[in-house]
Amino acid sequence: MIKKNITIAMSTLLLICSGCSKTEDLQSDPNRVTEVTPELLLTNIEIEAFSTISLSAALASRQLSYTNGVNSNQYYNWQRSGFGTYDNLKQVSKMVEASAANETEVYQLLGSFFNSYFIVSLTETFGDVPYSEAIQADANNFTPKYDTQKSIYLKVLNDLKAISDALASNEEQLLGDVIYGGNILQWRKLINSYYLRVLMNLSHKEADTDLQLKSRFNEVFSNPGKYPIFESNADNAALLYHNIQGNRYPLQNDNDLQTAYFMEKSFVERLQELEDPRLFAFAEVKPTSSGNDPMDFSSYGGLYGSGDLNQNTSEAVAGEASRVDPRYFTDPVNEPSLLMGYSELEFILAEASVRSWIESDADIHYKNGIRASMDFYGISEVDEYLANPLIQLGSSNQVEMIMTQKHISMFLNTGWQAFYEQRRTGFPEFNTDGAGALNSGKIPKRWMYPANEAVNNGDHLTEAINRQFPSGDNINSIMWILK
Amino acid sequence: MKLKILCLAMLLAGVSAFAQTQVSGMVTDQSEIPLAGVSVQLQDSGEGTITDFDGNFSISAQPSDVLIFSYIGFKSYRVTVGDQVTFSIALSEDTEQLGEVVVTALGIKKEKKALGYAVQQVDGQSMAKAKEPNFVNSLTGKVAGLSVKNSTDLFQNPEISLRGASPLLVIDGIPDRTSDIWKINADDIDNISVLKGATASALYGSAGRNGAIMITTKKGEAGKMQVTFNNSTMFQPSFIRVPDVQTVYGNGNLGVYEYEDGSGSGTEGGGWIWGPRLDQRDPSTASGYFETPQYNSPVDPNTGELIPIPYTSRGRNNIENFFQTGITQSNNLSVDWGSEKASFRMSLSNMYQKGIVPNTDLKNTSFSVGGSFNPSDKFQLNANLTYNKQYTNNFPEVGYGPTNYLYNLILWTGADVDVRDLKNYWREGQEGYQQRHFNVSYYNNPYFQAYEYLRGYNKDNVFGNVNFQYQITPELSIKGRSGVNVYSLYRTYKEPKSYVGYGDKSLGNFSLADTNYFDITTELGFKYESDLTEDISINGELAYANYYRNSTYHETSTDGLNIPGFYNLDNNAGSSLFGNNDLIKETIHSVYGFVDVDFYDTFFLTFTGRNDKVSTLPEGNNSFFYPSVSGSLVISELFDLPEFVSFAKLRGSWSRVSEGKIDANNPYSHIQAYEKGTSWNGTPSTYYGNVLLANNLKPETSDTWEIGTYLRFFQGRVGLDVAYFQSRDYNNLIESPISETSGYTSLLLNGDVYTRKGVEFTLDFAPVRNENWRWDAQVNLSQYRRYQDEIYGEKEQTENFIRVGDRTDRIFADIYQTNSAGEVVFENGYPISDPYKRYIGYDQPDWTYGINNTISYKNFRLSFLFDGRIGGLMYSTTNQKMWWGGTDPGTVNQFRDDANAGESTFIGQGVKVVGGSVEYDVNGAILNDTREYAPNDVPVNYINFMQTTSNGYNKNYHYYKETFIKLRELTLGYTFSDGFVERTPFNELSLSLIGRNLWLSSDIPNVDPDSGRDNLHAPSMRSIGFNINAKF
Repeated sequence: MIKKNITIAMSTLLLICSGCSKTEDLQSDPNRVTEVTPELLLTNIEIEAFSTISLSAALASRQLSYTNGVNSNQYYNWQRSGFGTYDNLKQVSKMVEASAANETEVYQLLGSFFNSYFIVSLTETFGDVPYSEAIQADANNFTPKYDTQKSIYLKVLNDLKAISDALASNEEQLLGDVIYGGNILQWRKLINSYYLRVLMNLSHKEADTDLQLKSRFNEVFSNPGKYPIFESNADNAALLYHNIQGNRYPLQNDNDLQTAYFMEKSFVERLQELEDPRLFAFAEVKPTSSGNDPMDFSSYGGLYGSGDLNQNTSEAVAGEASRVDPRYFTDPVNEPSLLMGYSELEFILAEASVRSWIESDADIHYKNGIRASMDFYGISEVDEYLANPLIQLGSSNQVEMIMTQKHISMFLNTGWQAFYEQRRTGFPEFNTDGAGALNSGKIPKRWMYPANEAVNNGDHLTEAINRQFPSGDNINSIMWILK
Repeated sequence: MKLKILCLAMLLAGVSAFAQTQVSGMVTDQSEIPLAGVSVQLQDSGEGTITDFDGNFSISAQPSDVLIFSYIGFKSYRVTVGDQVTFSIALSEDTEQLGEVVVTALGIKKEKKALGYAVQQVDGQSMAKAKEPNFVNSLTGKVAGLSVKNSTDLFQNPEISLRGASPLLVIDGIPDRTSDIWKINADDIDNISVLKGATASALYGSAGRNGAIMITTKKGEAGKMQVTFNNSTMFQPSFIRVPDVQTVYGNGNLGVYEYEDGSGSGTEGGGWIWGPRLDQRDPSTASGYFETPQYNSPVDPNTGELIPIPYTSRGRNNIENFFQTGITQSNNLSVDWGSEKASFRMSLSNMYQKGIVPNTDLKNTSFSVGGSFNPSDKFQLNANLTYNKQYTNNFPEVGYGPTNYLYNLILWTGADVDVRDLKNYWREGQEGYQQRHFNVSYYNNPYFQAYEYLRGYNKDNVFGNVNFQYQITPELSIKGRSGVNVYSLYRTYKEPKSYVGYGDKSLGNFSLADTNYFDITTELGFKYESDLTEDISINGELAYANYYRNSTYHETSTDGLNIPGFYNLDNNAGSSLFGNNDLIKETIHSVYGFVDVDFYDTFFLTFTGRNDKVSTLPEGNNSFFYPSVSGSLVISELFDLPEFVSFAKLRGSWSRVSEGKIDANNPYSHIQAYEKGTSWNGTPSTYYGNVLLANNLKPETSDTWEIGTYLRFFQGRVGLDVAYFQSRDYNNLIESPISETSGYTSLLLNGDVYTRKGVEFTLDFAPVRNENWRWDAQVNLSQYRRYQDEIYGEKEQTENFIRVGDRTDRIFADIYQTNSAGEVVFENGYPISDPYKRYIGYDQPDWTYGINNTISYKNFRLSFLFDGRIGGLMYSTTNQKMWWGGTDPGTVNQFRDDANAGESTFIGQGVKVVGGSVEYDVNGAILNDTREYAPNDVPVNYINFMQTTSNGYNKNYHYYKETFIKLRELTLGYTFSDGFVERTPFNELSLSLIGRNLWLSSDIPNVDPDSGRDNLHAPSMRSIGFNINAKF
């Protein structure tokens, strides 16, 4: 009897145990993959690169104003930005790895474009940043040295040129492309157009013999067969939104946008002065004019960017300020997010003509740019506007005129490009004369490096700060491209 | 033959009739004070009784019977009945508490004097009475070194930390890695033994690295069948802490109200409560008060316009009007029976908890059976099985935000809104589509939320174990144990259309998630026990153990709903459903053993060792051994100590325990892989994570040593237990930050060294112990600290600015710039942010304490427990939001009236820069400072100022001292005397009045600091009720 009991008990235990797994059998993760094909990474990289809708940029670019407290983007007392973009660079390096393993080249070439795009956005933010030694953690380099802004731009220019050439002869299939649906020609147009943007970013360095801005610009512009560029809005580098969870316009349903963001006053006044119909696409009639004709320019108002917050809030409360057009917070698709649009390219060409980098008619490019922008907003009646004497390119303030139009065309789109263009050229003027101005009335020129970099890569950071900025890591310091 | 049997039967009957006599007597202590409630038992039959209040007992016995007298705190006494019919027994106090036996690792009972480490035991009886929703709440303040931070929200786990880390839960010897504290019914708990350090719990392996809370459930007791009924009913009628909001100003901004259609711009703004003054007299209106169109104004049928109604503080009692009286009721019925050969217990429990938020509750039902039988002296078999169900259709979501009730009820609703008006929560004509509320951009109507936004939870738990022991020789036994934890959890999330999340007005959604979990722990081993000589004994075990877990998770959700209120995946409005699932398997193979040696009952030594092979580290580094040693020395046996010292021992221990699991929830964390990314219009994507895994990941290890002493004085009436421990945590599996420019935010590697230190005191004393009175008190006090010993990568500081030698709980916060005199620096009337985080204090409390008293007088018993924490800082979201949003009573002042009138009159206290500049190094140290200052004299609008600063610079940036004291528990019980009970169907009957969470005093305003963090939790409620305990 006893023996029977023991037998039962022990055999039960042993039976249960014989069902156990060995540790070596549980060494693979059933929930995640360890190897992928490059197109799966491309889609994610594209979403990251092409998502450029930023309320902060619209505040800093004097397109919008904010009333729920003193906003550092609007009042120019911001401090630091982050290095999160380096994660995108790593995704690119993984895509390049996967592409090499796959024995395909096209993803490696696009990878090189994305590397250029991401590093430009980083250096525009801070100044010198690591690039040549960046993304080498797999090779045990955890403290990359900082490259000078000039060397970064030189590498970017050479890379963009090289991939443009290489892509021209590449006939591989491109999958996972949510921007151009695998159309390589359109990618070549983007890469060449973006190349021209980068060259124009460097306009202060016209005399730099290493950069050779003029000849580089000309090489592309005068070889449309070899170097195709955007020809219409159909070529726009645009991410289209969809009415699917996670794919919707990022400001859809945004409560702050409905209640605390208003059009900026100087921006509204400029559009009113120019009688620019895009105002009707950007803004909603101000509450005190509700019921009035929405096509009447005087039905709109704004809050002064550098104005006293109390004053601004009171005006908002009194119904004197327009919100953005409701499509921004109700339409899940609204408008695409642009990495770069056709109108921007035309304004770049207009500016290059004015700067005599190319021999072309600035006015044609300028008006093409305006037309493209109007078209983007679905405005077809543009002849009257184009005939408006106030927008005609004269002979004295051409750059200002072009930049003003560029600024309008980038309303709540194309990321921080409108701010950087103003930083580069000074146009249009961003007001800092209001009673609420901070940062001693200056517009910041950059962002401070992230705080954790001082802990994790302090020596290289200190070296980079010392060689660039005699007064230290400061938002008002002047980086190389602006000198 | 028949005759013989008959004769025998008669003979036996005769003998029995002759021998069964009634014996009686009285039991006293040595000073002849009668002892009530002493157990008097017959050794063989197990039958017994207890002494009445005067110490008298009476029992029928045979001359051959042995009577056993036992009583807590006294040595038990045996006497053979013989011819004697009256007894006068004087029990002697068990001054050395030699009989004090505690449950240690693997369920082994050991004498407390033999332990080389700290163990504190809590009797289950105290928990069955003053019922808390789960048993862990009831441990608060009762164990030195165990910190329980209780949540005020329904069905939320308290935060448990033992010596600063999260302990393992063990139920009847089987580790419960699911840590479901809700599945254990307090009525079934016999006792809880808290193994405080790694040494104590090293035998549980990695999982026991942070100590263990060991629960022993009740077993059938030898004796006649006993039926016990226990009922507790608790009400939550009032608050001990709730945010105190102003009722002087209403909703709006800059003194203007404009919540008319519930959605719009202008003053609707951020949904501020910086509106006009309420209850302003206006003789020109019918009501005599200022009137304005409001969200609930009647509509003029002729004009279609809203008709102005009085703007008054009609919502000043919103809290009382919305919350209802919470109820916690539990019923338990148990039956137990036992004999020498077998025992059995079954228990049925039901707990019903009705939340203070309407339409929220929790039901928790358990059914358990268990028993043991010993078919022979050598063989013993035990089994236990419990089924538990936790079920609710809806329980509140917690955390700051639009899903929080207080958020919608008072934090962001001015007193001009009366919550009673909101009971009708659909907008007319838009039922099912649009909720009705004064503001539908930011907030949810609390009734809409309670009745339409539903969080269902349905969990079925089954757990139990089977174990046996067989004695092969007198010294050697074989033993085995197997235990399982199984559950299935089904959760539903119903979100109505127009529900507001941040920036998201819901299109209606339905999600469901299910988990199926199984784990099994099986052990088989040998046990050796022997007295080598009269004075030296040795015992030990060697066992093999296996742990295996398999669980699956699956979640599916809709992308909007077509038909409102129809919660089914088929009702999806989007093009496809969203879902994900995972499968988790894990195993650990272990061999462990221990040896206990006892010399002369004075020196005790224990060695343990364990080797684990885990699946959660790469092959090659996944097998590791760790040992421990502990010893105890009874000084009072060795030396002649002064008269007042009745017992003294010293103990010490050392252990090394390794842990081979990186992430408690994911056994595959040692595998580098791609993550699923956003899918764009149907095109899938992946991305690579931002943590890079180092090669050769090893287990992390803690070396802990501990010393302690246990002393008893004055015939054992005063006891003191002191423990000091120190742990060195090294090879820690950390995410060591690296420059993000290298492509990753951190490296997962073995690095950093920490030291943990702590000290614990437990003092118990019995100031009064006489005929009628007995007063017992216990004080628990502990402190815990953690220090950074090394930083991986030879960095000067961590990303949190901790340097080597610093406590790791230093808090660095975003603050405003100050000058050398500490004055805040302003620009244009607003304080300037400091670009560098600055140190403002420590997070951990200095001391955690509990003071427990029990006073008995005759049949009455009064007990009360105070506990709390001293020191440490906690960030308060509630206080910050109150200053920000305009609800803090401190915002009621002249500046606010000025701001409402459009005047900027507020001048922040501080300085402004009138010249010079400041330069910092990369760490924020000032390199050069030539700033010159003048007093800040720029007036700003008070409301704009508060909306920008939240008054942080006057309130330590909303880091408040955590210090508090709480009257946790108060019970007054009465046990009916035997004389009374005899006339009833009961054997025993007691009644108690119970109060919990009765009173609080704290430094921090508006929130109960008990939970240790403030992310806007439910108001802290007082619980009052009663308990009935009856035995049949």
